Amino acid sequence: MRNDISDRRAETDESQADLAAAVGVTRQTINAIERERYDPSLELAFELAAHFDCRIEDIFDPAEEGR
Amino acid sequence: MSEHTTSATTRPSARKRYKRIAYGLLGAGILALWVGIALDRFVLGVALYWAGGLGMGLVQRFSPVELYDERDTTIERKASQNTMNVFAYVFILGTPGGLALQESGLITLPGEFYGATWTLFAVFAVFGASVLYHKYRT
Repeated sequence: MRNDISDRRAETDESQADLAAAVGVTRQTINAIERERYDPSLELAFELAAHFDCRIEDIFDPAEEGR
Repeated sequence: MSEHTTSATTRPSARKRYKRIAYGLLGAGILALWVGIALDRFVLGVALYWAGGLGMGLVQRFSPVELYDERDTTIERKASQNTMNVFAYVFILGTPGGLALQESGLITLPGEFYGATWTLFAVFAVFGASVLYHKYRT
């Protein structure tokens, strides 16, 4: 699913590893989400939204499938 | 698989380290089994193999960090589905096909064929039971 996680990471100057540690997954998982190769669970989507202090739909755009 | 609560301070390096320890224990167990067979100490080899497997399980269960995340689980589930599909075709087509060839006198099936058939049957029976269990639990 299309998302702007990499842009948000750039804004907060975070690496994939930093974000992964913050939300409790592997760096590979964050990389896969950013590359739209893996859609996170609802639980992880909420974790990401809480981390970036926004709503899930601010990060993810289901209308624009990347693949 | 480990089912710890995810820690926000989990460092990937720690996760990798514990994974290496877990797989290392299993590898050591397999190596010990081979050495045991080579030295004609089969029982000792099997005991060490079991110890390695148990050690791997204990590391996975009690490690302070979560070794597998949700993507690992998804990958594993997809791989399991693919594996089940492959063997479903082998079982559904291979079993009657083999029996038909034997009935027609073209081949004589070895005993291993029946062993493999019953093994596959058992795998699918357990899979079906597991599906039903989870279906009625969720």
